[in-house]
Amino acid sequence: MSTETSHKKFLRGLTEQFPDILGKLQEHIPGQLIAVLPREELPKVTKYAVNRLGARFVITVATDQRDKTGDFGISYILAFDEEKQFLVLHSNLPADDPRIESVTPDVPAANWAEREAYDLVGIMPEGHPDPRRLVLPDDFPAGIHPLRKEYAYNVRFPSEPGNAPPRKAPPEGSTVVPIGPFYPTLEEPAYFRLFLDGERVVGSDYRGFYNHRAIEKLGDSELNYNQVPFVAQQICGICGQVHSCAYVEAVEKACEIEVPMRAKYIRTILLELERIHSHLLWVGLAGHIIAFDTVLMQVWRIREPVMWLMERVTGNRKHYSSNLVGGVRFDITEEAADDIRRVLDKVETEFKAVVDAVLIDTSLMARLKDVGILTEENARALGAVGPTARGSNVAIDCRVDHPYAAYDQLDVQKQVQDGCDCWARTLVRLYEVFESIRLVRKALEQMPGGPIMAKIDGPLPADRIGLCSVEAARGESHHYVRTGEDNRPYRWRLRAPTYPNLQAVGCMIEGVNLADVPICIGSYDPCFSCTERVETVDVNTNEIRVYTREELQELSRRKTLG
Amino acid sequence: MFKAKLKEAVICFGAGRVTLKYPFEPSPVPPKFRGKIEFDARKCIACGGCANVCPPRCIVIEDMGEVAKITFNLDRCIQCARCYEVCPEKAIWPTDEFETATPDKSDLKSEMIVWMSTCQRCGRCFETENAIDKFESKRWRGRGPGEANKHGIFPIKPPIDFTAQTSLVREPEEEKDQ
Repeated sequence: MSTETSHKKFLRGLTEQFPDILGKLQEHIPGQLIAVLPREELPKVTKYAVNRLGARFVITVATDQRDKTGDFGISYILAFDEEKQFLVLHSNLPADDPRIESVTPDVPAANWAEREAYDLVGIMPEGHPDPRRLVLPDDFPAGIHPLRKEYAYNVRFPSEPGNAPPRKAPPEGSTVVPIGPFYPTLEEPAYFRLFLDGERVVGSDYRGFYNHRAIEKLGDSELNYNQVPFVAQQICGICGQVHSCAYVEAVEKACEIEVPMRAKYIRTILLELERIHSHLLWVGLAGHIIAFDTVLMQVWRIREPVMWLMERVTGNRKHYSSNLVGGVRFDITEEAADDIRRVLDKVETEFKAVVDAVLIDTSLMARLKDVGILTEENARALGAVGPTARGSNVAIDCRVDHPYAAYDQLDVQKQVQDGCDCWARTLVRLYEVFESIRLVRKALEQMPGGPIMAKIDGPLPADRIGLCSVEAARGESHHYVRTGEDNRPYRWRLRAPTYPNLQAVGCMIEGVNLADVPICIGSYDPCFSCTERVETVDVNTNEIRVYTREELQELSRRKTLG
Repeated sequence: MFKAKLKEAVICFGAGRVTLKYPFEPSPVPPKFRGKIEFDARKCIACGGCANVCPPRCIVIEDMGEVAKITFNLDRCIQCARCYEVCPEKAIWPTDEFETATPDKSDLKSEMIVWMSTCQRCGRCFETENAIDKFESKRWRGRGPGEANKHGIFPIKPPIDFTAQTSLVREPEEEKDQ
């Protein structure tokens, strides 16, 4: 362990409580500590680190490593943001009895992560307060965990109806209002069941993951190192560069590939341009959600030149396809740099005018202020990230806390607001646009010359672990890569920023009026996917009826054929 | 309030008309645009470089000894441009075409058959500059028929047909009570 790491505060706290852990910590890469612990100890250390030492729970990684060591592996990834440190707590679980004590009762942020580990790999979180099915479809056969290595990526499992997770019972006397399954304002699928007392929300239930695309499965069974970035960038229609960048940086960290400085700067510039257009998109959508379409039209008009700029610079308006392991594929020429500066000048002036108008618009404030409160305490407990956290006075930003690409040379200013409401989250994003414009200009100015691709001479070493967090417009996007033989990752795990933020929604919408729910959900900039199930309520009998996929298919055929 | 509305009105009127007349007027693409790919069978040496790097398995090569058949399923193409980046003979290149919508997927499928002979220059090989593009990942790490090697890797390749229903796990259950 380097002396720098051994002086860190969290380590002192950890060794006070668990003196033996010091001998177990391995540090292959600065900023990333790995401890292999027995399964009885792992939950204890996790709870202590999160609740006493202020660690942020990031994600769990469940790995089927039976072909290597004959057992399952589970890693809990924690982040100490102030000390710029990741801590991976790993435990090996016997193949015939993959159980681990759940940490969710004490660490609520781990709720979904542990349920997902059970769904996909079959690691049972014992004592989980809500062990319902999370990721797998309603008709997926019980007892099959598709991320295990015995299943090929293209196996189509037989449909087995009746495995749908039970729905949460509404509190006594409340009315159930389903929003979704096709979410009306974002034109994306998500299924919220809101429990209402009069017009006030008293509880909620969420079912999602309808469009789970098994990308992680492809990554460790079918794609090779340099194919994954292109699949990674298809994860999101907005933050593609974020995901491909996080993946390649994780591989580069794991294999200690020295990336040329110019390539790092190019990644940074593309990432910041992506943040600019994503935030502009959000501001427009927020206006649309509260029926203020002038904002939608005008902000999207301002955004469009950024998209055209990206098409000129990278060859595609959205999927830049610029990252490979070791560097980037194309340079930003002097001409392109001038082009970027010109477009940014225009965007800055035009967006400044919009912000000036919006900041004094009292009708807008009436809809956003004191709506959807997410307290600082809850934001920390539920592991919220990005503008959702920064709007609640939680000053985390991966660009500063876990620097990647060239951010350590750019002096990023965190934008933090303490309003904890939708307005605070809006302000964070508005100011971040100007901060991003400043960063792009600074990066263009500082960008050194030289090569843009590292020389890779041989196969990448196996069984190394790399972690990378990239700050997307929505928050921290975390990628974990364990390298493997055969020129492909052994395990690639990713966690998009909506994953923790969506878990905070239940808390955010409690107590608000029904009419404010869309903007609350919209205010954390969600990104979710598709469904095949509709819930209807018969107004005469008050009976809830759920259509199955077959019934819906039948119904739509009947309608189409007349 | 009124001041804000006034400012917003100024922004709206200042913008003028921004809608493009496309598709009634052409919408030219920038020079670096990555459009639909074109290829030339006379230049192709069937080295398989493009198929090896193609992330969505849009390009598939079948080596039949005398000839090699290269299939382009362009409905799967994600316009990443890796194929023409690695092509040693410049036998594949991008065009400006982006209007590829069609009611029939087979419009986007094309095949190229290349007669193989021993290359006078280099035998039969294909070199990339980047070492990790060079290694082929043909095997699939899973459990299926066949013996595992020492790494637990099984020497079978999954079918390219993405719609194939493989029931590795269980037979569909027989109807009970009958």
